[in-house]
Amino acid sequence: MSSVTFTGEKSQVERPPPVSTPHSLSKAVIARRSEYIRPQKIKIKIGSWNVAACSGTDKDLAGWFADGKNIEPNLAGLRVSTAVEENCSQDHIESIEDQEAGRTKKELTILKGDHGTITGGDTIGIYVLGLQEIVDLSSTKEYIGKVYSDTGPMTKWKKALTEAIPEGYQLISEQQLSGLLLLIYASPAVYPTITSVSSVNVGTGIMWSLGNKGAVSTRMVLGETTSLVFVNSHLASGNDAQILERRCWDVSQILQKTRFDPINRSGILDDHQEGIGDEDFAFWFGDLNFRLEGLPGDDIRRLLMLHTQGEYDVGAKTRNKIEAELENNDSPIIIQGVDSDDEEFGSDSLQTSRAFDTNNHPSSDLPNPDDFVQDPSQDPGSLQAAIDSLLPHDQLRHVQKKKRAFHDGWREGPITFLPTYKYEIGTMGRFDSSQKRRAPSWCDRILFRTRKDKAAYEKVNREELMAKRRDEEMKARGIDTAGDDDDVLYDYDPDEDGDETPSKSEEEPTTGKDFYDEQDEEDEEAMTKDGFVDKIHLDIYTSHQRVLSSDHKPLTSVFSLDYDAVVPELRSKIQAEAARELDKAENEGRPGITIVMDHSQNACETSQNVDTPFTAHEEGINLGSVSFMKRKSRSLTIANTSQVTSAFAFVERPGASGDEIGPLWLNVRFISADEEPSAKQNLKEVVLEPGETINCVVEASIDDIGLVQALNNGTMKLDDVLVLRVTEGRDHFVPFHGTWMQTVFGRSIDELIRIPESGIRSLQTSTTSIISTQPIRWSAPRELFKLTELIERLAERVVADASMLNASQVPKESAGWPFESDSWLLQDANVREEYAAAVVDALDSSGNLGSAFPDVTPAIEKLEVVAQTLVLWLGSITDGLVTEALWTKLETDIISRGTRQLTDAEEIKAWVLDVLSSSPNHNIAFVFLSSTLNRVADFLAPLPRTHLSWKKSPPEGSEARVERHRAIEKAYADIFAKVVFRTRDVTGKEKRVAEERKRYILESFLHAGARK
Amino acid sequence: MATKGPVGARGPAGSSRGGNSRFAQFKLVLLGESAVGKSSLVLRFVKDQFDDYRESTIGAAFLTQTISLDDQTTVKFEIWDTAGQERYKSLAPMYYRNANCAVVVYDITQASSLDKAKQWIKELQRQANENIIIALAGNKLDLVTDQPDKRAITTADAEAYARESGLLFFETSAKTSENVRELFTAIAKKLPLDQAGPRNPRSGGRGGVELRPENTSTQGAGNTCAC
Repeated sequence: MSSVTFTGEKSQVERPPPVSTPHSLSKAVIARRSEYIRPQKIKIKIGSWNVAACSGTDKDLAGWFADGKNIEPNLAGLRVSTAVEENCSQDHIESIEDQEAGRTKKELTILKGDHGTITGGDTIGIYVLGLQEIVDLSSTKEYIGKVYSDTGPMTKWKKALTEAIPEGYQLISEQQLSGLLLLIYASPAVYPTITSVSSVNVGTGIMWSLGNKGAVSTRMVLGETTSLVFVNSHLASGNDAQILERRCWDVSQILQKTRFDPINRSGILDDHQEGIGDEDFAFWFGDLNFRLEGLPGDDIRRLLMLHTQGEYDVGAKTRNKIEAELENNDSPIIIQGVDSDDEEFGSDSLQTSRAFDTNNHPSSDLPNPDDFVQDPSQDPGSLQAAIDSLLPHDQLRHVQKKKRAFHDGWREGPITFLPTYKYEIGTMGRFDSSQKRRAPSWCDRILFRTRKDKAAYEKVNREELMAKRRDEEMKARGIDTAGDDDDVLYDYDPDEDGDETPSKSEEEPTTGKDFYDEQDEEDEEAMTKDGFVDKIHLDIYTSHQRVLSSDHKPLTSVFSLDYDAVVPELRSKIQAEAARELDKAENEGRPGITIVMDHSQNACETSQNVDTPFTAHEEGINLGSVSFMKRKSRSLTIANTSQVTSAFAFVERPGASGDEIGPLWLNVRFISADEEPSAKQNLKEVVLEPGETINCVVEASIDDIGLVQALNNGTMKLDDVLVLRVTEGRDHFVPFHGTWMQTVFGRSIDELIRIPESGIRSLQTSTTSIISTQPIRWSAPRELFKLTELIERLAERVVADASMLNASQVPKESAGWPFESDSWLLQDANVREEYAAAVVDALDSSGNLGSAFPDVTPAIEKLEVVAQTLVLWLGSITDGLVTEALWTKLETDIISRGTRQLTDAEEIKAWVLDVLSSSPNHNIAFVFLSSTLNRVADFLAPLPRTHLSWKKSPPEGSEARVERHRAIEKAYADIFAKVVFRTRDVTGKEKRVAEERKRYILESFLHAGARK
Repeated sequence: MATKGPVGARGPAGSSRGGNSRFAQFKLVLLGESAVGKSSLVLRFVKDQFDDYRESTIGAAFLTQTISLDDQTTVKFEIWDTAGQERYKSLAPMYYRNANCAVVVYDITQASSLDKAKQWIKELQRQANENIIIALAGNKLDLVTDQPDKRAITTADAEAYARESGLLFFETSAKTSENVRELFTAIAKKLPLDQAGPRNPRSGGRGGVELRPENTSTQGAGNTCAC
């Protein structure tokens, strides 16, 4: 046998174990996300177009947006990447001339023979189309005061789009705000993975909220991991500085007022609404209306038209117009590449020199850039060079730099295409020739931003602010030169130093911020809100130059997004496992207790164990034999055998008298081993640490006569259940049972006179009905004989003792002694109870009453106990010595006598005995009792012997003795009137009258004068 | 002000999809004659275990078990496994009083146990939450697989009774685990998931649980017995 040494190891009390709640389950599932997410790739195609409410624009949609047609590679400077279709022969593409001609014939302006340049069809997971001016907003009277609500345009565009994209693509969101429309469709594979879609409109136009300007935005969650926001906006239009301010204001309004519904994350609704900026990836597009400033519009027009005319075969019609225009102005133009760090955007920066001989035929002069130019920006004559020279004048980049709008992380792909605005409708490359001759501008843009971009901006911004604050503090302290401060490694003045950062190549996506230097061709990794690593790559950003139906050219961007998507099947599996683990932890970590019944107590009783009908009950508390007046207790030990703190209490359960913890006769209390028993008695709830124990005492005490009667006649059994409930744990049933010991208490006179000589306990095994079949054995209850006999003997002894011993003084103050409880000398309730129980036991078992007491018990205490028992027993007799029937007769007689009541004691006794004689057993018992009381009164207050020889005058003190005797008579009559007679329940005056009558009768029997 | 577009109705992928993950918690009580296998069913369901010899339950065991109905729906049962002995019958109302669902178990090899089950069902229909979902489970299916003559209650009889009384019905085996998960899943599917939120396990009341009226129809038996 190996021995184990326990090294006083402290049991570790653990924190309450995890419980499976929606939150804990969701947390557990998210913690295992790597097991149920799988990398996914998706292409998102975003199209943006201001259709200027032109008819026929919807017909062109399919061609450019869905199929990627109508790109003019020579003017778009496509940066070829995965999103550009390869091997698509453009040999048979319709000529510009034919195309422009087609336009006039109200036919599609989609190029015939163009197989599409940009990836489309079912390679795209999500199509996002943002349109502006789908309704004519030029006549304001149409919508002032009312929100535009014609569903016609939306229906038209939805139809055009659904026909354009492959079959099976499903609508994610449709959102219209007057002229603004945002439609989002997803492929059949992607559609089911999109959740938490929420769309919001923000109007910033006339009356601040009407929709001629503003934004429609949609937020969605992709694959349950990646939230995307698409903002289609139309900002205030116009070229002057005031309007530029207004555009920035529009942006701030859109940012401020766009509030999406809370996101449902793994079944839990976020408790806050989200705005733009809370997402993982945002895309902001539309007619942002930013213009080129600081250059004469006409110069830009003419410069660009050189390109539109020169670089490819512009249709003759357009070419003629362009040439005509160009010839109108003989000042040769060139816009040099302006460095982006050039502070001034005024006309000074526009240097004109003769770069091209406009009299030559530019179309033949200019080489095809595809032939040799590797980097178009390096070729001063290239389109890209022209674009690059214009971009520094772009207002969007200015406001980004000045942190007025789109500065907080927004980026844009390289602009390699011509300004998208404003063209003569129906022409490929002819800019606004109206009176206004608007400067061509990149009004239409597609911007994007990742969570990381925003965070990076915020970090730099914070650092700048802190640096500035430090600077100001130093200035405030009078340290003007930061170099004096050793802590400052680099002197930084945002006003002077901010622009020193060299501008990055325009080839790279523009971020609108200068801090982002490490921009490279690598895919941009971004951490989502939930910690998933996603990658985004801008595949393409270009315009569809050969779409002729609006004065804006449409823009397309294709983004490739690598993201981790939840695989629902895997997640379900993980969730089931997580739930099981949580349940397991919850169930195993549940508080628990072990209840140990102390069966040794029952063993002690086996010698006197009576045959019990409860032997079948193996479990629970066996109270053993339970007798009247005798407390019976059992103890339980309750141990916390679980790993956690356990709290428990007995709880109410459905019982005979309603919901209660246990029957009234059962007292349950906890007794802590290490504390005073009284201190922790009757605790409502007990809390035990693991390994701790507590004792519980269950004590039966039956002293209610009603209960005794029910137990005697078998209508009630000592059999019940306690429910001990462990908080957050199980319920323990604690059944208990006991054997009721038959008793002479709570019996009728008729039963009592049939009790065999061996005592009522000898009938224990019989059912109760048997007692009534027993023969009548006594003329009056034997218990009465026994009790009265002993009382008389003890009273005599007490008086004798009193005369012999000074120590034993009969109490004289109370006339009711020894029957009156207030007068008892033995005040120790526990001792009294013990003695009384012994007397009761002697009565029930037909034992000797006198020997029920310990030998040394003084007679005076015995007398009090026996007297108490007598009163209790009389009161317990179910029909009483004077039954209700007998009492009714007596009362009837009293009432019939009216004012002529009997006054003579002897007459009253004769009348009463006459009435009682109808019930001889009761009669005998009554007489027996009254004579005993007489004798006791005589012992305690002997009357002067009137029949002896003192004829003249009574001896000294005899008056007082008579008076005392009278007092005792009255007191006894009072006490016994309550237990001898049985009357119907009456109250008030009637009750007082009845009590008076009872005393009147009893006093007559006790009156000393009657025994002359 | 952010205004909802007048024509910007939500697409089918709106918050009705995806945004409706549910976690519902329900109180389930097991009733039935002593030794029909109530605790064994729970042990199988919760721990996927089986003991050939189990002491009879003195009290009411309390366990929880969470199951996923589908990707979006999670149901957590708070299971009260009550003592089957007759002497504890008066305590049963403590457990079925606020129960959302009850599994009344009988032993298919003991004819008297179905009578007892019927008494329980009657009591539940009279005294329990009026929307309580009751499932009748005839346990110990494994005993009759090899010895069909041991069967005392035919599937058809019990099924007919269940249909009449509007109960779910399964013949189960805690020993082989046949139909155990199916039983609890069927109950979960019948519970009114939309209205029941997480609630205090011991709080009173019905926890806002309301049943749809059409849910009172009987679900077909899931047993595969050859009878």
